[in-house]
Amino acid sequence: MMDSTVHRSREVNGDTLARIAQKRRKGPPPKRGYPWGKVSHYVYCALSYIFLLSPMIVVIGASFHGGEYYTAIKFPPEDPSLQWYTKIPTAQFKALALSFGLATLAALGACIIGIPAALGIVRGKLPGRSVISSVFRAPLQIPAIVTGIAFLQLYYLFGDATGLYFQGTFIGLYIGHLFVATPYVVGTVTAILQRFDVRLEEAAFSLGANRWRTFRRVTLPVIMPGVYAGALYSFMVSFADVPISIFLTAPGFVTYPVELFYGMENDFDPSILASSSLVIFFCLLVLLGMQKLVGLDNLLRSGSR
Amino acid sequence: MKTRWEYVLLPSFLIVGLLIVASQYVFLKGSFFKDLGLGRISDTASMVNYLRFFTDSFYLHTLWVTVKTSGLAALFTLTLGFPVAYLIARMQSKWSMILLAGIVVATFVTIVIKVFGLIIIFSADGLVNQALMGLGIVDTPYTIIGNQTGVVVGLMHFTLGFGVLLLYSVIQTIPRSLEDAAQIHGASRWRMHLRVLFPLSLPGVTVGVLMIFNMCMGAFTSAALLGGGRVFTLPVLIQRTVMMEIKYSMAGTLAAVLLVTVLLINLLSIYLIRRLRSARLVIA
Repeated sequence: MMDSTVHRSREVNGDTLARIAQKRRKGPPPKRGYPWGKVSHYVYCALSYIFLLSPMIVVIGASFHGGEYYTAIKFPPEDPSLQWYTKIPTAQFKALALSFGLATLAALGACIIGIPAALGIVRGKLPGRSVISSVFRAPLQIPAIVTGIAFLQLYYLFGDATGLYFQGTFIGLYIGHLFVATPYVVGTVTAILQRFDVRLEEAAFSLGANRWRTFRRVTLPVIMPGVYAGALYSFMVSFADVPISIFLTAPGFVTYPVELFYGMENDFDPSILASSSLVIFFCLLVLLGMQKLVGLDNLLRSGSR
Repeated sequence: MKTRWEYVLLPSFLIVGLLIVASQYVFLKGSFFKDLGLGRISDTASMVNYLRFFTDSFYLHTLWVTVKTSGLAALFTLTLGFPVAYLIARMQSKWSMILLAGIVVATFVTIVIKVFGLIIIFSADGLVNQALMGLGIVDTPYTIIGNQTGVVVGLMHFTLGFGVLLLYSVIQTIPRSLEDAAQIHGASRWRMHLRVLFPLSLPGVTVGVLMIFNMCMGAFTSAALLGGGRVFTLPVLIQRTVMMEIKYSMAGTLAAVLLVTVLLINLLSIYLIRRLRSARLVIA
């Protein structure tokens, strides 16, 4: 990987290199044809965006449709109303609450496990550093559905041995989510730590701060963007998960995506549209908060693995 | 200041390591025992489940469909995603924030909601069919439910946002000054892309595409909902084997085959890319 500070030096006295090159040429700038390459690039990207965003826009749009039950799904919506928003059954709210609590705790747990792991990977004198860091990355390499069934069988075996059955309980679900959430925090914090200037800590230490104070006042603030990024990723991964949760939930105890999944397979209730729209708005809101807190580009830069 | 950071790592390593070893060991071991029905398994280990997998054309076909749809989805995600990632990474206006926000929202909203939207778009009187039939391209409504096209489209929606974010971070590590230098020295836009951007981004792009491929191989939701009970991929089959047939060992076998296939394809691709690079075919 190249040093990320290199490409910030491309501006010299406010001039881009391309402009400098142009100034040095004698005479007027060379004539160029219509930039078809650029235009086709923009058009292509616009089509990608339409492809990517259309399902969500359609869901939000259709949620405002005011028709009767069996003609209730229509886009563009006619006779706009909020009727489906008032008809969201409590089961969906219960599922949403479970998903939210689970994702929050998963993000928290991922930080508690992930931050020390990243510190150890970058700074520890480790034999086989690459092996250890690939162990922490492994949960991302294991197909999600395999993780789901693996934990289900682990819980059965553990239950048979101890009488303590974890499947269909919050703890069981939580361990599964924590397993896939942790690698994100490890990844983002590792990325930031690798660029960390150790002299900052040495300065704090030589000025009389103890280890804990140095960590609290110097190290932590610097790695915070990575922590936020990792926490956001792990929250969202947990909040959106189906393949792991579907094995570890039980009737009456389901996360929101699983509730939706069963809803779409069985009895199709248009109120799903309304609650889905609420979730999309919620994701937008979380994002806005993150943009205010650390800035989206900082968030993603530290997310580069 | 001497902090022994390796000890700081130890508790986390034990937790993660224990969870990996325990969970993988249990289902891999279970896959060697025969199902006796109703969730009970036999006492003696045998290869019977694996024999069944590799002699039954249905299972082999399922494996092929899984690899094919995942591979196609990963390639399409790359072709749709790379230009977008490049656009955002090289953009210098406020707009890049808004474009990024669109990608991030698309990444984080659960795939179930997106599949829901897809079903509405492609329904018999949905937008796509209204357009297609209005233009006289098709007579009968076109559907993506229950065929492999639908599964690939669903997988793409599962991975595209994440793919753009991955590629974005890859492109950001390539100094823009190199592109400027190529163009100042007279390289055309295409030539610059081919000779500078492509070789420099190749290692990162390979890793990114493999990650997307892995995500698709483990993806269950889009294949289950858009496959409509007609297209089976291994993840769908694993869930059915557990939930409907209650055959844990066979499901374990399917999961083991899936896991090994993913690992093999990853190793093979990395090996091929290394060979390619050492043969100087790529970095000219």
